[in-house]
Amino acid sequence: MGSNMAECHPVAFRWPMKAKLNGAKLIHVDPRFTRTSAVADLHVPIRAGSDIAFLGGLINYVINSQRWNTDPFFKEFVVNYTNAATIINDDFKDTEDLEGVFSGLKGFKEPDFWPENGNLGAYDNASWAYKRGPKGPGPATKDLIAKRAGPPFDDLVRSLKPGPAERDATLQNPHCAFQILKRHFSRYTPEMVEQVCGSPKEKFIKVAEALLENSGRDRTSAFAYAVAWTQHTYGVQMIGCCALLQLLLGNIGRPGAGVMALRGHAAIQGSTDVPTLYHSIHGYLNAPSALRPHETLRDYMAAETAPTSYYGNTPKFLVSYLKSMYGAAATAENDFGYDWHPKILGDHSHIAMFSAMGDGRVKGMCCVGQNPATSLNGQATRRALRQLDWLVVKDNWLTETATHWYLAPEVKNGEVKSADIKTEVFFFPSTQIAEYDGSYTNTQRMLQWHSFATKAPGDCRTDSWFYHNLAKRLRKAYATSTLPRDQGWKNLTWDFDPDPADPAYGTALYPGEISALKVLREINGYQTADPKQHLKGFGDLKDDGSTTCASWIYCGCYPAPDQNMTARREPDPPGVPGAHLKWGWAWPANRRVMYNRASADLKGNPWSERKRWVWWDPNFVNPPDPKTGKPVPHGKWVGYDTPDFAATKAPDAQPKPDGIGLDALSGAQPFIMRADGRGWLFVPAGLVDGPLPTHYEPHESPVQNLLYKQQSSPVHKVWSLGKPWNPIASVGDPKFPYVISTYRLTEHYLAGAMSRWLPWLAELMPELFIEIGKGLAQEKGIKNLDWVVVSSPRGHIRAKALVTDRIGVMKIAGKTIHHVGMPWHWGWMGLSTGDVVNDLTAWVGDPNVSIHEGKAFVCNVERA
Amino acid sequence: MSDTFVTASPHWTWFIIPYFFVGGIAGGAYFLAAALEWFGRPEDRPVIRTAYSLAFWGAVISGALLTIDLGKPFRFWHMLFQSDNFPNVMFKGWSPISFGAWAIMLFGLCAALSMIGAWTDEGRVRTPAAQPLRSGTMLAKLVAGLGGLLGFFVAGYTGVLLTVTNRPIWADSPWLGGLFLASGASTAAAALLLLAPGRGATAGSLAWLESFDMRALVIELILLVLFVGWLWPIRQVWLSVWGLLLLIGVVWAGILWPLRLHARPASAAGGGGMLRNPAAMVLIGGFLLRVVILLASNGIQHQMATAIRR
Amino acid sequence: MVTITRKRAAVANEAMGFFTDTTVCIGCKACEVACKNWNQLPSTHGGVSEMSGDSYDNTRKLDGTHWRHVKFIEQFDGPYNGRWLMMSDVCKHCVKAGCIEVCPTGAIIRTEFDTVVIQSDVCNGCRACIAGCPFGVIDMNMISGTAQKCTLCYDRMGVGLEPACSKACPTDSIQFGPISELRTRAQKRVDQLKAQGEMRARLYGDDPNGPLGGLNAFYLLVDNPEVYGLPANPQLPTRTLTKSGAMSAATAAVLGVLALVGIRKRRIDEKEGATIDV
Ligand SMILES: Nc1nc2c(c(=O)[nH]1)N[C@H]1C(S)=C(S)[C@@H](COP(=O)(O)OP(=O)(O)OC[C@H]3O[C@@H](n4cnc5c(=O)[nH]c(N)nc54)[C@H](O)[C@@H]3O)O[C@H]1N2
Ligand SMILES: Nc1nc2c(c(=O)[nH]1)N[C@H]1C(S)=C(S)[C@@H](COP(=O)(O)OP(=O)(O)OC[C@H]3O[C@@H](n4cnc5c(=O)[nH]c(N)nc54)[C@H](O)[C@@H]3O)O[C@H]1N2
Ligand code: SF4
Ligand code: SF4
Ligand code: SF4
Ligand code: SF4
Ligand code: SF4
Ligand SMILES: [Mo]
Repeated sequence: MGSNMAECHPVAFRWPMKAKLNGAKLIHVDPRFTRTSAVADLHVPIRAGSDIAFLGGLINYVINSQRWNTDPFFKEFVVNYTNAATIINDDFKDTEDLEGVFSGLKGFKEPDFWPENGNLGAYDNASWAYKRGPKGPGPATKDLIAKRAGPPFDDLVRSLKPGPAERDATLQNPHCAFQILKRHFSRYTPEMVEQVCGSPKEKFIKVAEALLENSGRDRTSAFAYAVAWTQHTYGVQMIGCCALLQLLLGNIGRPGAGVMALRGHAAIQGSTDVPTLYHSIHGYLNAPSALRPHETLRDYMAAETAPTSYYGNTPKFLVSYLKSMYGAAATAENDFGYDWHPKILGDHSHIAMFSAMGDGRVKGMCCVGQNPATSLNGQATRRALRQLDWLVVKDNWLTETATHWYLAPEVKNGEVKSADIKTEVFFFPSTQIAEYDGSYTNTQRMLQWHSFATKAPGDCRTDSWFYHNLAKRLRKAYATSTLPRDQGWKNLTWDFDPDPADPAYGTALYPGEISALKVLREINGYQTADPKQHLKGFGDLKDDGSTTCASWIYCGCYPAPDQNMTARREPDPPGVPGAHLKWGWAWPANRRVMYNRASADLKGNPWSERKRWVWWDPNFVNPPDPKTGKPVPHGKWVGYDTPDFAATKAPDAQPKPDGIGLDALSGAQPFIMRADGRGWLFVPAGLVDGPLPTHYEPHESPVQNLLYKQQSSPVHKVWSLGKPWNPIASVGDPKFPYVISTYRLTEHYLAGAMSRWLPWLAELMPELFIEIGKGLAQEKGIKNLDWVVVSSPRGHIRAKALVTDRIGVMKIAGKTIHHVGMPWHWGWMGLSTGDVVNDLTAWVGDPNVSIHEGKAFVCNVERA
Repeated sequence: MSDTFVTASPHWTWFIIPYFFVGGIAGGAYFLAAALEWFGRPEDRPVIRTAYSLAFWGAVISGALLTIDLGKPFRFWHMLFQSDNFPNVMFKGWSPISFGAWAIMLFGLCAALSMIGAWTDEGRVRTPAAQPLRSGTMLAKLVAGLGGLLGFFVAGYTGVLLTVTNRPIWADSPWLGGLFLASGASTAAAALLLLAPGRGATAGSLAWLESFDMRALVIELILLVLFVGWLWPIRQVWLSVWGLLLLIGVVWAGILWPLRLHARPASAAGGGGMLRNPAAMVLIGGFLLRVVILLASNGIQHQMATAIRR
Repeated sequence: MVTITRKRAAVANEAMGFFTDTTVCIGCKACEVACKNWNQLPSTHGGVSEMSGDSYDNTRKLDGTHWRHVKFIEQFDGPYNGRWLMMSDVCKHCVKAGCIEVCPTGAIIRTEFDTVVIQSDVCNGCRACIAGCPFGVIDMNMISGTAQKCTLCYDRMGVGLEPACSKACPTDSIQFGPISELRTRAQKRVDQLKAQGEMRARLYGDDPNGPLGGLNAFYLLVDNPEVYGLPANPQLPTRTLTKSGAMSAATAAVLGVLALVGIRKRRIDEKEGATIDV
């Protein structure tokens, strides 16, 4: 659900197919009958954008089912491993009470210095918090900050500990999370699902029954999603809704369970771990921000450290990161250079930046490995690109982004003249992945090292070459500056040149190239005093500057100069559970299933023999503590996987009253990254659009929200609101009566530069098309292969019609709604060319992660 | 749906159609010449000589067309000798193309010898070595006999060749060989009727030719009816321009109309226009027969199979 | 003297081939591309072609430059109501191969793995094999000027490698191995499908006593072969050779008799002094 795995992840899809041969049931919920549906046991049609209604329906069905209420497994899992029993603040108001919004909704005012955040509204989430007892004694955080306490920062972290949360293990308290969610989802009946999603009730019930049947002690179910769940104005909530359902079914932290994000580009996982994202620094720590209380190092720590989870170690992660940034210049006295670190002003995500570009607030852009002229909101994006002074495109191909100024449709049709575009465009030919060494991290958080297969032709250079040399030049340029804002550049350490005298970290493949292994060492971390002493794992990290580590989650992937764990290629033999711990290396700490303590029951025994994964071995003889030399009591977490828990903490261990980090959790709280060690059904903090998933309509929809008065998410984002280049259709606009979704084909890759130039792929899908149902085709007199014009408020494009019964008509809220869909891979460059589907989409997106709503909007279709 | 609908077309078109046509005439002509060589009279000599030329040049043109049509023309000899075990002979008695290639070779050889004989007769060739080939000699008769048999073979094997495939129309009946043979005979007689008078053919020879032509046409018609009847299960293949051409061009214009002209000789005497000349019509019909048979089948492509698949 | 015989040459090694389980094919076309990549085959019009409109199939058929082809068959009764069959098609490497039968140059050989290979350096492009194949597998490769088709990766097998297409297949829809082993595996899979209620599951071409002596690339289907564009009863092109030859000979005899009868009639007529019908 939420992905078309067979078409978009065909190689990974090998495993669901293997499972199917072993008797697993495969279900595909998708607006289209796709190649995934073709091999699934059941396909359920769903209107794009209505998945929360569907998942909410499942939740409601599950918690009211006989099986869920009688099999003790579910209660045991949910009461102990989730926050179902936790009491929420009395002043919390649910969507049930407020016609579709939560308590705390307020307006959002764009700050003058960065009016590009796009939020339509904002929540104050204070009322969503847990109801807590009084805080323990100890110094106040603000005093410690004032005193510049630490390092060590343990006292500061301890001072953040809140009072104990109230719980009701009987789940009867009307304010406990479970009762709230039960009321919240009570509207999501099978009949409502059919009305909202267009999914036949019988099929919906089949899904619910299959899930119930295949969850429990002895069986697990998994969900796989990708961008069909992200590209919405409530995409994060969709995924959260699935996680909620899976927690209720005991399907998290166990083998064959979970919510699998099928990620996109190779290493896109890596690109968020060691991020190219604007809002976080390495390892998912929030980027220092001007909008948050991040004034000083200690302010940041106070704001960002969850004291009672593994994140209690945040000061160690942060200080080690700052050491990696500023090296010897980072000292305890200057707060490890924290003040030099840049702070973000607000939303600098893709669309926000292009919105700013469109307003003339961005002068130049380096476009490296991206093709925005067609991949997101084409016409508005190209309009923004034309406002730039300079544009660098570094790509393997002359992309649409590189050629927009003379080949874009608006230039060809005379609306825009090349001569009027002032942008200077530079093109840098790039290497391909097979032409350099490095690692990539994919869907399962696994790092795999790859060696170059062949040298790049001509002047092609790697992206690391580009940034390496750019950084060196910028450092030189800032070397003499005395401005405070340039101190970061001045003090930046940059040690990636290969050392010919010491080939331990490899030699350069191209002139001026970096040593890829030195970069890996930087990410893995080392003892500041001796860079050849690599860190063995994030347990080694210190908050006093004695360790250097760019990304704490990757710590341990390169534990010694001659031990590159990511280069390992040893699969498990057949016949074993197959954690493949010796194949590559997965963060964190080479764990293949996260939160896998949940695969054992409270006492640490596997829930069932069949689902054995990680368990407590009470007889394990531990060696004495290496640091203190003291003996360690018997007992250890063991299993097929690396246990995701404190290795020798017994299942019956109690939290230490004064403990921080994992010491604040018991031996039966598996979710060690959560402040209460439990899976969150109700999300008190972290999401900007509500603690519980709620069905909203997409920003553009042909129908009213059947469940609430609130039509769409009250806090989602619309950039360039009201600007002529981002017009929006009103609800039920008769000019755009059809629901449209955009998606991928196996045969092409994204914006198409990597596939439309390849004759072998181009011939497989040579032209842009729109999939339309036979009913609509008949109504409009459209025959298979006819040219049609597809229009949205943003523009219109031409495509050939592929008339099929694999997509079609739905009954939504009693209305007949036609659903159509288009793959979006085309542009004007390459062998196979076609119109830009993203000329139809809007600058509208999710409030948490700012992704655009490319999966559900409205359109019209006419014969050309 | 016939199993043959899912197969692929060999793209035998504008070299092969004339090849089949010319080969048919050449083979048929040689056969007629051989019949006259053995059982005819001296007054038939002009017809025989015309037939020999037809056979010889027909064989040359056929060979050329067949070779040009190959994807690799210079590998024509691969059909005769094993290219990787030269000079071992390449011959497959069960493959019409294989034995056909040999047949054309030998046929051409015979035709060449016979033609040399004819030229010697006419005094165009004077080498003593050619004297034994003069008409009337036993050698000439033997060569003609062999060539005549090969001639029918060449005229008919093309149909068998089409039958020994898995293509619609071609492979769906056993009659194509006979049909092409009859058509080869009728077109050969017609061609001789047109050409021989210029070479001094006598009325007696021409009368025999004409009566033979009409009989061959009747046989052809019978075979065509059998052939089409056999294809009843896949009759939809005729729902095309080719079906129309078969009816009008082949059956009516190429067979029925000449037969009618023949039956009412008075009208024929009126002279004027091809339409009034049964021989010309027979030739046109014979050509169209091959056009229809080849192209109708070639036209049935994967797309059609798809449409049928549901 | 190297004689050409019609008898099937003894196969040195164990017969190797493909079992294609169409029920796990996801239509990804990796097999098509892997084949093109390994064999360096060109694309239709260099990749600048038109869509076919026949579901997701745009390469349309097997031919001289498409030695693998994935078929897409939409069987629907209404919106969302039906199934989408996919099948990766290839040369069947028939045990009794029509293409070998008719090839006049001996270009097509049976290899030591019991597979059928066209030797491109022998073929002269006569195209008899195209029409002779009961499955429409072969076609011309306009670049080489010869007929071409799947070689079952003879070059890879020779060095102990699996064929490129089956190697690339992510779901093991294409399985490569010794035919005897594949047959057992295939039968198990049919039984499994039947137990799951798919009563239409059947094997196509697995029977050594069946049509063409069995196919060394055989299939698991869940509908009639015709639905997949496969002949229900594939046959050798030579099946009508004798009949057709006999009919031709008979025609020749009749025509011969008619010719002689004419000559004789002319003689008799003249003797009787009748005039000649001009
Ligand atoms: N061949 C190929 N593989 C790829 C890519 C590629 O371009 N080509 N791209 C890669 C990248 S970057 C990514 S992010 C992934 C994306 O992988 P996916 O998310 O699987 O890809 P999409 O095709 O965008 O969308 C998947 C399906 O979502 C359905 N859909 C649309 N709207 C909705 C909805 O509201 N709800 C539900 N349940 N389904 C909906 C569409 O019909 C479509 O079948 O694929 C990666 N893999
Ligand atoms: N309507 C609609 N729009 C969408 C989506 C959708 O589903 N619907 N999906 C969205 C998603 S999930 C994604 S991920 C984006 C993708 O959008 P983009 O990232 O803009 O698209 P790509 O075509 O992947 O662009 C990557 C470029 O990198 C180049 N490249 C490859 N390797 C290298 C390298 O090593 N170095 C350099 N410098 N360049 C390289 C390629 O040639 C290519 O031009 O599109 C988004 N847009
Ligand atoms: S394109 Fe690459 S990453 Fe994507 S499925 Fe194929 S092999 Fe895997
Ligand atoms: S399928 Fe066709 S090409 Fe392949 S071996 Fe059989 S007859 Fe020959
Ligand atoms: S085209 Fe080549 S392989 Fe085919 S029959 Fe002719 S010579 Fe043989
Ligand atoms: S076996 Fe080799 S030649 Fe045949 S289809 Fe597969 S990859 Fe192509
Ligand atoms: S590679 Fe396998 S799954 Fe993909 S189309 Fe070919 S046979 Fe089907
Ligand atoms: Mo993506």
